[in-house]
Amino acid sequence: MTESQSMTYETAAARVEEIIRRLDSGEASLDETLALVQEGKTLIELCAGELESVGAALEELRLDELVARLEDETP
Amino acid sequence: MTTPAPLAASETPADPGIPGSALAGPFPVGEYAAALRRQLRSFAHVQLVGELVNLRAARARVYFELRDGTGAISCAVWQRDWDQILARAGGAAGGGVPVNGMQVVIAGGCDFYPGSATSSPSFSFSVTDLRVAGEGDLLARIDRLRKALDAEGLLELQRRLPLPLLPRTIGVITGESGKARDDILAALHRRGWAGRLVWGFAPVQDRHAAPAIVRALGDLAAVGEVEVAIVARGGGSLADLLCFCDETLCRTVALLGVPVIASVGHHTDRTLLDDVAAVSCSTPTHAAEAAVGIDCRRARAEATAAAARLRDHGRRAIQPRASLPVAASRLRDHGRRAVLARARMLATLSRAPADHLARQRTRLHQQLREARAGSRRRLAGEHALTQRRALVLQRKVQSSLLDCLRRHPNELNQLALTLAAHDPQRTLERGYALVQSPSGEPISTAARARETADLRLRFADDTVPARVLP
Repeated sequence: MTESQSMTYETAAARVEEIIRRLDSGEASLDETLALVQEGKTLIELCAGELESVGAALEELRLDELVARLEDETP
Repeated sequence: MTTPAPLAASETPADPGIPGSALAGPFPVGEYAAALRRQLRSFAHVQLVGELVNLRAARARVYFELRDGTGAISCAVWQRDWDQILARAGGAAGGGVPVNGMQVVIAGGCDFYPGSATSSPSFSFSVTDLRVAGEGDLLARIDRLRKALDAEGLLELQRRLPLPLLPRTIGVITGESGKARDDILAALHRRGWAGRLVWGFAPVQDRHAAPAIVRALGDLAAVGEVEVAIVARGGGSLADLLCFCDETLCRTVALLGVPVIASVGHHTDRTLLDDVAAVSCSTPTHAAEAAVGIDCRRARAEATAAAARLRDHGRRAIQPRASLPVAASRLRDHGRRAVLARARMLATLSRAPADHLARQRTRLHQQLREARAGSRRRLAGEHALTQRRALVLQRKVQSSLLDCLRRHPNELNQLALTLAAHDPQRTLERGYALVQSPSGEPISTAARARETADLRLRFADDTVPARVLP
């Protein structure tokens, strides 16, 4: 598991903000800029994936049914 | 209950009533309600003791309930009487201001509001006096349990759990038919959240509630994918919310690995569940907003904007390489402009001596013109000065002559006479004649006259020739 995959949404979003602040400052060298842009793109894809997973359609489950299903699946 | 006495003595009602019924009536309900009030008010006034709960003030009266383990009764106090009770309670002899949970003794009697066509009837024990008997057992017991949980560190465990900003799965324990369910769904919809919602329906009031909620919490934790759990119910009296002060429930929540958001009752009510949960909210709506910490729609827009900014930064970082030829061309232009500027400067320097001579010549001509003009001005000045001096001298001479003429007229006359005395013409006029040569030279000797021979004799009036005779 890579570092970005283990990140939560809030960690990734905070890191993206940090990256953009660094880039906006204009103090990053060319190599650092390219590395930060690449990292930021990866993190934004992660955030977008998280948002996508809670944005398609609400799925409502009943706990008792879920527990019963889990009990049935348990050998 | 027997029929109220006033109705029993009334006349037979006009409506025949239910056929076959042995009961009296039917009586108009208003008359019956009024008779009921008279009957209830006739009961003996007494003192009651119990726990004060659900205290609330209306415009004219203060309402509460008096409860113990076997029953309860609704109570009402006129505002005037309540103010007197508070005044006494706040004094030195008072046992404290009455609040919910206190054990109190009340004095009064039964009363009944008969209602009307537009208002509902209600029974109440009309309280005329109240005395605080001590802190209620219920609140005291809850407070003891809160202190015990705090001493064990159980009030802090949930607050140390990280609360996810964007959970994929949320578990909710609430009444299946309660309004809290709709409020949570509406709040999640407003957040733009549409993940997985696991409903754990359980009773949220009465003695069955706490064990059912404990069981549901355990099941939610066992499911594994639930990242945050909400326990919610609407408002109620403190007694209604007692199940959320259950010790087993509170210990279960404290030790749960999933953060629990409590939303029980209103903001004025605080149960032990509020103390042990990770987050305590006043309403189910707030609980849902706490479970999903961001507005998902706005977060999607912000992610899109952030991606665009990153693209811009990446493009700007690469742009300098693409613009190298342009930069080289600009450098060449700069060099060309620099050479032209140097050439112009050299040309200016080469023209400098000639320009200098021309400037000097012009300056000398100017100085010459100025000198000539100055000389002319000086000559003219001296000429004028000389003229003025000559005029002055002339005037002085004239003045001197006039002065001399004025001062020496006699001397002049004397001189004139002297001159006239020496004039030869005066001698000729006296009869003398002058001998002259033909050329007019005076001949003053006889020898000379003989030598000349031809003579001229000048008289006063004329000259006549003469000859010397041998």
